Amino acid sequence: MHKTKLQTIYLSLLIAFICLLLPWSGVALKLRPDFVLLVIIFWILRAPNKCNIGTAWFIGLWVDLATGGVFGQHALAYTVTTFVAVIYQRRLVLFSNTQQLVYVLLLLLISQLTLLTVKTFAGNESLGWAYFLPSFTGVILWQTAVALGLNTSRPSRSK
Amino acid sequence: MAGYHQNLDQQQAPAFFARGPSPLARLAFFSALSLALMATDSRLQYLGSLREHLMVVLQPLQLIANAPSMLYESTNEYFSTHHRLLNENQLLRKQALIQAISLQKMKTLQLENTNLRELLQANQSLEEFSQLGEILHVGRDPFTKKIIVNRGSVHHVVEGAAVVDAKGVIGQVTRTYPASSEVTLITDKSLTIPIQIERNGLRAIAFGHGRDNTLDLPFLPANVDIKPGDKLITSGIDGIYPKGLAVATVTNIQTTPDSPFARIICVPTGGIENHKQVLLVSISQLESTNSAVSSNQTTENTGTSVTAAETVKAPPMKASGQHKKITNGAPVTAIDSSTPNKPNAQD
Repeated sequence: MHKTKLQTIYLSLLIAFICLLLPWSGVALKLRPDFVLLVIIFWILRAPNKCNIGTAWFIGLWVDLATGGVFGQHALAYTVTTFVAVIYQRRLVLFSNTQQLVYVLLLLLISQLTLLTVKTFAGNESLGWAYFLPSFTGVILWQTAVALGLNTSRPSRSK
Repeated sequence: MAGYHQNLDQQQAPAFFARGPSPLARLAFFSALSLALMATDSRLQYLGSLREHLMVVLQPLQLIANAPSMLYESTNEYFSTHHRLLNENQLLRKQALIQAISLQKMKTLQLENTNLRELLQANQSLEEFSQLGEILHVGRDPFTKKIIVNRGSVHHVVEGAAVVDAKGVIGQVTRTYPASSEVTLITDKSLTIPIQIERNGLRAIAFGHGRDNTLDLPFLPANVDIKPGDKLITSGIDGIYPKGLAVATVTNIQTTPDSPFARIICVPTGGIENHKQVLLVSISQLESTNSAVSSNQTTENTGTSVTAAETVKAPPMKASGQHKKITNGAPVTAIDSSTPNKPNAQD
């Protein structure tokens, strides 16, 4: 029986993390999708026994470290998001492509809303609608990946 | 069909038997953990050193991530044309000449000032220690105005140091890591800076606006003596920013009849978002000035005090060191800060 290797998961997470570390600035920074969360969602849907809420929490801590905000805010956002992803995981795998897209958008928005809540408690003023743009670019990225042949429902048999 | 069964094995069986704690339990556990972390980090400040240590692990990843843009820049520089270099060279020579003149005047004035202060038994003005840093990248949160600079605690950068460029103050160091430090720009909402109007000496506090690259001067009465075009300089009463650095220019003043306060908008003079090199200036602290010397230019030690340290103590935007200094024998009256200003901090 084919199994997704653990190394593949960690390697892809590492690559997503390096994407986050790239020197983004200006408009690109405002549009930058949450690479790490997208990869986590992908693995939660595809290999839920390998990548779980704990993984997401742990990676979230590193994202917090890299972004320099309050320690634990991304960890919390990723925990909540992956929880929603996990409980609907079995249904989601059967969804059509479009349904999946909408669902991924919802997940990304949940993550951003959690972050927004934390930021508001920490005393930030409202950030405007542009705050939610990364969710939409994230969905575009997801669709691009799907078009390139990534598939959540069936592990590929090439390896 | 076989594939479908495989799929079933893969997806369903672990779901019932090998999933460990339920998702809800995991959610509760990890949420509680992150909430505890957030509370600890924002209220108790225990995690500062932990953060510093973990940043060391991130350093190589950061290097990998920066590599493509660095490569692009260095190739660009390499292929810059002869003509452009010549032009730039000429411009810089001209600039150096102009600045040399004012620097000469500055030296005599400074000597005179020190003498006069000594006569008056007044406190000597605080010395500054500065080093050049390069901006690595802008902060990763698009809604805070921060930059990361390639000097850190190993280079004796301290939290609270002022950051200036050739035209004025651009921010303050808010967090230091071993090899880099985070600078909050003066346009960030959380940063305030004590200023003075150059024209009439009026003191106020400037707040970053957050959204666009402007500063606000709130809580000033509607009839305050400020005009568009007035220059704001640092007042130095906070003991953080050296005195007299350019900060911003007033562009717009709005008064409404129903408000007792004027709404004053200023634009920073420093190139907030278009420079690569910045100067990190901290007001003399013994431990940092004593050891962080060798990398910078040294000055002659002509003072009579016993200190062995030779440091660059120059006014923030003048690169060369001073030649002669009179020892600070005046009593420390500490008008504005807890920063030690002891006799042996002199050169």
